[in-house]
Amino acid sequence: MKLFRNCGNFFLGLPAFVWLLIFYALPAIVIFFIVFKPVDSNGGIGEGWTLQAVCELKDPSYPAIMWRTFWQGIVSTFVCIAISIPICYQLARISNVKIKNFFLLLIVVPFWTNFLIRIYAWKVFLHPDGALKHLLVWMGVIPQSTMLLYNQWAVLAVMIYTYIPFAVLPIYSVAEKFDFSLLDAAKDLGASSFYAFRKVFLPGISKGVLTAVMVVLIPAFGAYLIPDLVGGKDSHLVGDMIARRVFTDRNLPHASALSAVLMIAVFLPLVAFIWFRKIFGTKSPDDAKLQLKQQDTKQRLGSSLLFTSDTNVSQNQQKGEEANE
Amino acid sequence: MKKIITMGCIALLAASTAFLTSCGQKKTVLRIYTWGDYFAQDILDAFEEKYDCTIQLDEFDSNESMYAKVKAGGGGYDLIVMSTYTAKLMYEQGMLDKMDHSKLATVNKYFDKKYEHLTLDPKLEYTIPYFVSFTGIGYDTEKVKDFEPSWAMFEREDLKGRTSLLDDHREVIGCALITLGYDVNETDQAKLDEAVDLANKWKKQIAKFGVDDTKQSLASGEFLMIQTYSGDVLQVSMEKPSIKFVIPKEGTTVTFDNFTIMKDSKNKDLAYEFINFIYEPENAVKDMEEIQYVLPHTVAVDMVDEDIRNNPAFKVPEETFERCHLLIDLGDDNAKFLKAWDRIREE
Amino acid sequence: MKFFRKNRGAAQSRFPMLITLLTLIFLYTPLVMVVIASFNASKYGGSWVGFSLIWYEKLFHHDVIWNALLNTMIIAFFSTFFSTVLGTLAALYLYRSKSKFKSVYSTLIYTPLIVPDILMGISLLMLFVLVISVCGGWVNSILGINMHLGFTTIIIAHITFCLSYVTMVVLARLQEFDHSLIEAAQDLGASNLYIFFKVTLPIIMPGIIAGALFAFTLSIDDFVITFFVKGAGDTTLPIYIQSAMRRGTPAVINALSVIFLVLTFVFVFGTQKLLSRKKS
Repeated sequence: MKLFRNCGNFFLGLPAFVWLLIFYALPAIVIFFIVFKPVDSNGGIGEGWTLQAVCELKDPSYPAIMWRTFWQGIVSTFVCIAISIPICYQLARISNVKIKNFFLLLIVVPFWTNFLIRIYAWKVFLHPDGALKHLLVWMGVIPQSTMLLYNQWAVLAVMIYTYIPFAVLPIYSVAEKFDFSLLDAAKDLGASSFYAFRKVFLPGISKGVLTAVMVVLIPAFGAYLIPDLVGGKDSHLVGDMIARRVFTDRNLPHASALSAVLMIAVFLPLVAFIWFRKIFGTKSPDDAKLQLKQQDTKQRLGSSLLFTSDTNVSQNQQKGEEANE
Repeated sequence: MKKIITMGCIALLAASTAFLTSCGQKKTVLRIYTWGDYFAQDILDAFEEKYDCTIQLDEFDSNESMYAKVKAGGGGYDLIVMSTYTAKLMYEQGMLDKMDHSKLATVNKYFDKKYEHLTLDPKLEYTIPYFVSFTGIGYDTEKVKDFEPSWAMFEREDLKGRTSLLDDHREVIGCALITLGYDVNETDQAKLDEAVDLANKWKKQIAKFGVDDTKQSLASGEFLMIQTYSGDVLQVSMEKPSIKFVIPKEGTTVTFDNFTIMKDSKNKDLAYEFINFIYEPENAVKDMEEIQYVLPHTVAVDMVDEDIRNNPAFKVPEETFERCHLLIDLGDDNAKFLKAWDRIREE
Repeated sequence: MKFFRKNRGAAQSRFPMLITLLTLIFLYTPLVMVVIASFNASKYGGSWVGFSLIWYEKLFHHDVIWNALLNTMIIAFFSTFFSTVLGTLAALYLYRSKSKFKSVYSTLIYTPLIVPDILMGISLLMLFVLVISVCGGWVNSILGINMHLGFTTIIIAHITFCLSYVTMVVLARLQEFDHSLIEAAQDLGASNLYIFFKVTLPIIMPGIIAGALFAFTLSIDDFVITFFVKGAGDTTLPIYIQSAMRRGTPAVINALSVIFLVLTFVFVFGTQKLLSRKKS
């Protein structure tokens, strides 16, 4: 009977498993396969095998692009998290549930707005004849000739803009459960506010921060639309290079080679993340517990992506009801 | 919770009805793939009414991306409007149908043979010319001081960060080659290297490479000077008269955009009718007045509104033709251009 | 400021609040700019010409946009349906399974959540190109079907990235519910199938609906992956918006953005209202 149930279970999971195997795992392998194929002159994939696409990665322009992709990813992640921590601290300390939810929604709504429209908004915002430009020129911050758009700073600003909600949600979901009496206790023991914040609050939310790093850094490495739309002549990232190889140059092997590099760059932090959590995440090496914790973090990662997920609201609601009582 | 369920059901219902109605369409559909903003809406509407059909218009922004998509996906198009050099490539690959001139009475009646030398297919075997487009410089006469009709303008330091070049390897390298006095389709590596150096000098001053978005930037004052196609600038200058288009004295590239009929098209007769329809004088005039490119038409060009017609950027004087060069498909040598382009794009 | 928890010791720092408010300003200023720009009569944006509603009117008569919307809805409908079915089954499996295989399974389910869009887009494109070039010929000769990129490939891609989100949302719901209910039903002699349809399914229904809504929104919103796997001319709304942005006919896009923004606000605040009313 038990065997039967396990089998039944297996069949439940099978369709999705097979689907992802074919349309998620297999394509990733196909990429590494096409890297070693030649281009045919019609823009398709040629016969035989070659190392040409790999050799072309030595192109002197690539290190610069990869380095730019790397530092922009790191900087935008860092800024997003640096902004998100105080926000989450603040949100978690607001005791009025309605106001708290309202603030949370305000932060999350842009995340639900169409991605293209958010980028487009920045093109309007940074327009050379737009309000911001006039304001800055009037204040004497920049000369009339400065272009706000089409440079890597614009790319960075828009990246931060679009990823902030990604950073806020996972941190918030941990900060919300943080016991703030610990902070008061630390202060009672003579710690300064900032010291208490640094030594008590930060370690308390470290898991949320780690998740936030993942969900910002990895998409940031793959940014494509942002450099394409607000970037200029010198702000290409790996993502829009890949797109150009596909759509303009019709060089699929070359695009694959770049994608393979990006894929490795993405999976390294992912592996590091899992490893990191294994080392620091649990104190007892107990396998079952470890499993549970992993599940928990993934869960949080997941549900935090869902705007104010059902759970958040219900938790807030419960807290509110408790407070009312 | 019930409400959410109801909401969900309504959404699904709405989606499914939308789907069903889309299946219910019975009219013939003419599928056209073309550059953005390339047909006057009135004409499309008139054609739909006259032939009781629906036109499905899809847009692309470069020959290369169009080719990549059609090559990979078929797309089921009847008509594609593309540059001659791409048409040649696709014809040689057997993707385009041969033109049946017995079905093109109106075109044969009005096509202006004066323009024949501007196409790679002078006998019109597989293409019917639509608009002729010149690459040139669009600029704001109020803001650019001491303008000279020369590609050397892109080296001017005082315009730094306020100019743009086309995001098209053939156009940028081509114009650099012309400036150096070489052939626009030059494949000699040493000469290409020189062109790359020149283009890099231009690149230092520009803000970005772009195609269709730059005309808007020129209109809104974002950019003061751009490398672009004639009609795009003329469209903009309707709203902002201080904007002007010139063909540089060194010369420039010229391409015809052509109607081509796909081999696997299922509505070839309707496609022929569409081409004829565009060549009807009154439609041709309307189209030219709105899109502001020249159709090689014996009658209609002279019927276009005087203000537009007298603009040398619209009806280019014959002597300027001497300085306009045709782009041809380079086959395997295209890789050299792409390599060179990479060296320009990523210093 | 009275809604802040009163601090017993030192006065609470205003710094976090300041950051929060500044961030909100940062988040909303560009959006407000778009709203303002949508009423600008100038066709090309930039300086203010005058107040006008013409772009809203044009939007209403813009057939291409409506056609793109229809395409978007068709794709979203199919990908939501299939990803919800597959995702729910996967969640049930993950919830029940205790085998070692589960960790492999959950990795496969969870990593698509953070893999950059562009990687998913390009790898699917490569797969499709490879399959079409290898099998296209004989599929055509045997079945008479001409394989090419199109709605089918877009829907496949959308199912792939929506699936994980659905699984996650349904699983969250499953983990909240009281397992003893099932045991009670078993004790009363109910069959497994009966339990599934009469106990499990009604309980996780809100999760399934939330997951489906999530998938629907993701599908409507997606640009990058669609752009890679679409065939020539398959125009969805985001694809149209992007090409309009590149082409520089943004005045209509301003108006469209505003409508999008309003709908998003109504949607998010509406669901919030519904949920909180349900709770109280």
